Amino acid sequence: MLDFFTIFSKGGIVLWCFQGTGVTESFTGPVNALIRSVILQERSGNNSYSHDALSLKYKLDNEFELVFVVGFQKILTLTYVDKFIDDVQLHFRDRYKNELEQKGALALLNSHFAFEDDFKMLLREAEESSKARGPTSMRSFNASLKSQKTVKSMIETKGGDKGKEQGGKKNKNAKKEGKGEKAKASTSAQKTEENGNQGLTQEEIIQKKREEFIRKRMGAPVEKPSKSPKPVKEKPKGKEKRVWTLGGSSTKELDYSQSNGNGAHAAGDQGLDAQADPVCAFLFKMFLSPKKGAFGGMFGMLKGLVGSKSLSQEDMEPVLDKMRDHLIAKNVAAEIASQLCDSVAKKLEGKVMGTFTTVASTVKGALQDSLVQILQPKRRVDILRDVLEARSQRRPFVITFCGVNGVGKSTNLAKISFWLIENGFTVLIAACDTFRAGAVEQLRTHQRRLNSLHPPQDHGGRPIVQLYEKGYGKDAAGIAMEAIAYARNQAFDVVLVDTAGRMQDNTPLMTALAKLIAVNMPDLVLFVGEALVGNEAVDQLVKFNQALADHSMSDKPRLIDGIVLTKFDTIDDKVGAAISMTYITGQPIVFVGTGQTYNDLRSLNARAVVGALMKA
Amino acid sequence: MEDNIDVEAGENQFQPYLDALRKELEHQDPIFIIGIIISLAVVVISFVLLKYFLSSKTVQSAVLLVGLCDSGKTLLFSRLLSGKFKKTQTSITDSSAPYKAKNEKGSSWTLIDLPGHDSLRPQYVEKFKSAARAIVFVVDSAIFQKEVRDVAEFLYFLLTDSAVSRNVPSLIVACNKQDITMAKSAKLIQQQLEKEMNTLRVTRSAALGTQDGSAGSSVHLGKKGKDFEFSQLPMKVEFLECSARGSKGENGQADIGSLEKSLANL
Repeated sequence: MLDFFTIFSKGGIVLWCFQGTGVTESFTGPVNALIRSVILQERSGNNSYSHDALSLKYKLDNEFELVFVVGFQKILTLTYVDKFIDDVQLHFRDRYKNELEQKGALALLNSHFAFEDDFKMLLREAEESSKARGPTSMRSFNASLKSQKTVKSMIETKGGDKGKEQGGKKNKNAKKEGKGEKAKASTSAQKTEENGNQGLTQEEIIQKKREEFIRKRMGAPVEKPSKSPKPVKEKPKGKEKRVWTLGGSSTKELDYSQSNGNGAHAAGDQGLDAQADPVCAFLFKMFLSPKKGAFGGMFGMLKGLVGSKSLSQEDMEPVLDKMRDHLIAKNVAAEIASQLCDSVAKKLEGKVMGTFTTVASTVKGALQDSLVQILQPKRRVDILRDVLEARSQRRPFVITFCGVNGVGKSTNLAKISFWLIENGFTVLIAACDTFRAGAVEQLRTHQRRLNSLHPPQDHGGRPIVQLYEKGYGKDAAGIAMEAIAYARNQAFDVVLVDTAGRMQDNTPLMTALAKLIAVNMPDLVLFVGEALVGNEAVDQLVKFNQALADHSMSDKPRLIDGIVLTKFDTIDDKVGAAISMTYITGQPIVFVGTGQTYNDLRSLNARAVVGALMKA
Repeated sequence: MEDNIDVEAGENQFQPYLDALRKELEHQDPIFIIGIIISLAVVVISFVLLKYFLSSKTVQSAVLLVGLCDSGKTLLFSRLLSGKFKKTQTSITDSSAPYKAKNEKGSSWTLIDLPGHDSLRPQYVEKFKSAARAIVFVVDSAIFQKEVRDVAEFLYFLLTDSAVSRNVPSLIVACNKQDITMAKSAKLIQQQLEKEMNTLRVTRSAALGTQDGSAGSSVHLGKKGKDFEFSQLPMKVEFLECSARGSKGENGQADIGSLEKSLANL
């Protein structure tokens, strides 16, 4: 049933693998794809991944640095896989503990792991256990809890309607119980079943409303309507005091003035001492609290100080919650922060801490590494080199800017063209924003200013920046196509395409943008996002990518290739938007806009951003 | 006269203290004094030794295996250490093991295999670069043409790093996967890389600064005004061919003789 099962070390050496009968293609490709998209992108929150027709499930063993991966066909739904992986992991660890515990890779390289027999036995057990559990049969009504309840306990003392509904329920039960009842009883039951206003006739409705009116006038509890043919219940005796099963009836327990709670008291008393000496504080707490596990707790704490304590979910829970709140306070989107924390928890579970390291420091270190890893670009980012490459191929390098309204597309387009002309490239700006008032004029002003900074006399009489515009109201995709053709004819190095800002929910505009990108196939599609955005970033990027994927004709759609993060100077250290954006798209941040003049264009320094993010 | 009086006054100031000290020392057991002197001497000597050992440790005791993703580093690591063929996956963390060089001295140092994935590379290189005495840069010769810009960028990043340009470890560029028929020769790879590094010198220095103001490293590779060549670098650079898989497939020997010889010469 399984296609393959591999066990490999985090350093990359495959320790043992199993390939199912009849499976010919190698599993290296899918497993590599799993590693790259899930583990390395910190999405290890949920442990399954699908690649083509295969579905992959994996488990990380952080103590011995191993990864267990199982692959099977996506169309099969195998229920035993999760438990099976856990069993295999435990079994493998127990059997090869000696080899795995040695530091260094030599042990892994030299030992041969003959795991086939164990594996086959575990697989057989797992398959059999899944077959043994048959479909569960439904309980009969008599066995359920509901039949034990009396009607009175279900009554809420609200008024007539509620009572009616309860009465109706009782009659439904009555109907179910007596299946072989006479027709008369069944019809009467049926009539009461359609309780509620829909089933009542017109007169009954009027009657009911009359009673409500009287009730409101009198302010007295209403009598049950006698018209309904259900059995008469006892009248509710006014409002009964509601009894909570878990609540205390006396307020004595809430009085903490005496030494009621030992832990709180001891901590308060010893507070001054404890500040000076945390180890003493631990010991004091442990000694004074008469909990049963006091000695065990103290021992565990000392063990934690010295080392050889493995991290568990409960240990990391409080630290991770605090880190999640800290990230959210720094403007990381809420769901991204929680996914990140889940991924870090998965990566650290079972890991053995070193000597004198606390849980908090280990978790913080791991989180910092993950954040740096997310911000590192996954491909080479060197625009100048790519422009040179395009120039050698005698075609212009096309960059398209897209984003929502007011994020700074036109301003940053001007900054980027300034940077390019400083490095000696000729730039054509395509004004594909045919909607916003003054968009074309804005670009024309930028063009004039840039040309005055680098006068045409220096470049053989040709203006270094030109604007291609066709006024307002025209089709943006058509203008872009003509601009690129013009650039190719006139041998421009770079074409910068400015599009109109649009909200991600606006379907016709998103379709138009997708058409522009699909038709013109730019070299770089940059999404311009401002650093002030919070949770909206997630929605924007997801919907933009979705639109680009849906409306492209080819099976390899052009998605967002890079991000321009603007208005970076307005945030001090709440730099979380950078994380949200790179996490969702997986694409690097190519430019950072730090102001409104031509010189305010930078590239991202991952370490500095993560430092600002983790700073308290 | 006055000077004499002043000097004597100064001496007289300290004299009582010195006398008191001398008296105290004489009162004490001589063994006690000897004990104090010995412990002071031990502390000083241990400081000196510690400094000596620590500094010698950080200096160059490891050989790093670096390269792009899928270039064959982990398999090369396995072949060098144990001679066996092992299936490999993309590495997530580094692996290290002691390696015994095949020379008369039998020197042994640590061989470290770093992951090649783009998002992990910078932080692992950062961690291990100061301990490197040699860097083995593994290149996939079969798909080199497509990857030449990425290879060159990584090599540029390594060579312009401040720690690397200070320690000057020797660089061995191992053109791996020679068993594939379309593999390029080492000479061709060297020429292409030199051309690419030439261009990179220009584009990298024109790159944007980072947002917190820290500029990139200002190390200029090679000689200004002349085309870049690997011989212009301060470190020893060697290009060689190897095949970790070996011409006979999984069960055969790996073709890494030249690599082992270079490693023995370190």
